[in-house]
Amino acid sequence: MALLETRNLSKSFGGLQAIHEVSLKVESNKVHGLIGPNGSGKSTFFNLLTGVYQPDKGSYIEFDNVDVTGKPAHYIAGKGLSRTFQLLRLYGELSVLDNVLVGFHPHTKYSPFAPFFNGSEVRRQDQIVKEQMFELLEFIGLAEHAEIPAAELSGGQRRLLALGRAIAMRPKMLLLDEPGAGLSPANIDNLMDTIMTLKDRYNLTIVVVEHILKVVMATCDTISVLDHGQKISEGTPEFVKNDPAVVEAYLGREMEDEDIRAAMNT
Amino acid sequence: MGFLSIVPDFIERLGKHHRLLPWLFAYALLLPVPFVLATLFNEYLIDLANRICLFILLAVGLNIVKGFCGQVTVGHIGLYAIGAVTSAVLALEPGGFGGALGFGWPVWLAIPMAVLVTAFAGLIIGLPSVRLEGAYLALATLGLGESVRIFIAVTPALGSSTGLMMIPAPSIGSFVFDSFTSYYYLVMTAALAGIYFSFSILHSATGRAFQAIREDTIAASVNGINVVKYKLLAFVLSAIYAGLAGALFAHMPPGYLHHNNFTVIEMVTLLLMVVLGGIGNVWGGVIGAIVVSIAYDQTKDLIFIFMDRPIVIQPLVFGLSMVLLVLFMPRGIGGWIEGFRRNRRFIRRSEERLSGTARNS
Ligand SMILES: Nc1ncnc2c1ncn2[C@@H]1O[C@H](COP(=O)(O)OP(=O)(O)OP(=O)(O)O)[C@@H](O)[C@H]1O
Ligand SMILES: [Mg+2]
Repeated sequence: MALLETRNLSKSFGGLQAIHEVSLKVESNKVHGLIGPNGSGKSTFFNLLTGVYQPDKGSYIEFDNVDVTGKPAHYIAGKGLSRTFQLLRLYGELSVLDNVLVGFHPHTKYSPFAPFFNGSEVRRQDQIVKEQMFELLEFIGLAEHAEIPAAELSGGQRRLLALGRAIAMRPKMLLLDEPGAGLSPANIDNLMDTIMTLKDRYNLTIVVVEHILKVVMATCDTISVLDHGQKISEGTPEFVKNDPAVVEAYLGREMEDEDIRAAMNT
Repeated sequence: MGFLSIVPDFIERLGKHHRLLPWLFAYALLLPVPFVLATLFNEYLIDLANRICLFILLAVGLNIVKGFCGQVTVGHIGLYAIGAVTSAVLALEPGGFGGALGFGWPVWLAIPMAVLVTAFAGLIIGLPSVRLEGAYLALATLGLGESVRIFIAVTPALGSSTGLMMIPAPSIGSFVFDSFTSYYYLVMTAALAGIYFSFSILHSATGRAFQAIREDTIAASVNGINVVKYKLLAFVLSAIYAGLAGALFAHMPPGYLHHNNFTVIEMVTLLLMVVLGGIGNVWGGVIGAIVVSIAYDQTKDLIFIFMDRPIVIQPLVFGLSMVLLVLFMPRGIGGWIEGFRRNRRFIRRSEERLSGTARNS
């Protein structure tokens, strides 16, 4: 069963067609890879799915059997679609614990006015939630930093926190935009292990954008390839790797990223 | 630094017994203030203390929208004016002095009604925040706030140039809060409760949503926060503070208010308090309100004679200190408090780690 489906999804910025009529299905409980050269529209695709950008006319997005086309971001989040950002977008001045607590926001049970009228209920519920979030922090290895501002974490810790905040929402589906960017190969392997454990633990469906093809090839059930905003290939890692259209897209242009070249040659 | 830790350590120890204990302790400390002031200095200082309490309410309320939620507003004094005039007019007897409007409501009914009306006005002042940011939002809110004052200034029913007079004081039974000292207990209680509730908001999902919007609006919306709803909520909550401060101002002895109490200068003074306090820091805002109120009081008669003409230099001094503050102390007193906290946290963690290794070896 498809948890997420897009039909003819398009987005243009002025004259630039960033996403062009992309139709795509993501099956439940799978890991779906999304790859493509720089500027091919991967992040834009995520922004459309999560309501950060409004899609162009004629587009259709369905998540968990609900039409979410053009719906505001907080509504889509409430349906159980969570994500990380390529540039993380953590709440730098908030503590690590508060960051994941914000992630839990859609499940808050008390009204926004409750701190005025019913402080004891707020404290009682927050206590329970804090314990849950603390467990999550322990799991991703940030518990001992719970009280420090997110901005004071190291680069790797920040990536973990971004992941934790997205998971705190208890989503059905998680979109990861280059979760391993800037990490060393060994750290990326660790991160992918963590992600796979989280997937089983919380019963997630995952869509992952990743530059390092080795990582995608090893973890994904299905891979879709974007180029110039269009879907040019889709299938198993084995299929995509040998698809001439993909090789063309990657090798047919100047590349700076050694990793991509290396991955394509293996 | 050691002696600086005594106070926070003591407060922490009190808080461990019961959450409210530090607050009750603070309340007890504040009770004798009028007598201390009257004995050591003079009666007039109690009036100043009352005004400080009102400005604390204003600053703490402004901090919710500006500090917690990151929305610029220069319309706060307009809300203060709405609270004051609404409560005054509701409580005044009909057919009062100079054609002023009056409904003859009991004061204790007029105040909550004024707070409600101001909360609604806060919603309207907040509407531009849905579309605008930064300087544009500042301009829009400034326009709204200032138009409130001008409306009061040109409407005889609301006092216009003469102001509203003989606004009744609140009373309980036969006891009337019509002296500086008795009124102090009203405004001091309101200010302390206001501080307490602002912490309740900060340490709840509501406060976290505000801060998330301040830190990164897009991430906040993706985390399921209805950004429009929470921005407006921040404006409404801060308007409740402004409305209460305004209403309490209206009924404060001598029961007189004038539109001159709500000018842009007042707004700048209020902003100065919040900026000096450190945007986003509640205690910083409180300290800012106290320091700036006293400075304001001490400098308001300062006159500089230039070419045989007197020039009031207070606005100049305040404007200049604002610029200097933003340039050289952008995080204000709250920045120091934060730094101090961070140091304590760091020291504590290092100590824990040290004692941990000591035990292990
Ligand atoms: N808000 C925007 N306004 C204008 N153009 C945009 C905007 N967002 C993205 N674009 C453009 O859309 C195209 C696709 O960008 P996008 O960020 O989706 O690529 P990407 O595949 O994520 O690239 P990368 O691998 O570098 O992250 C780019 O040409 C980019 O400049
Ligand atoms: Mg991208």
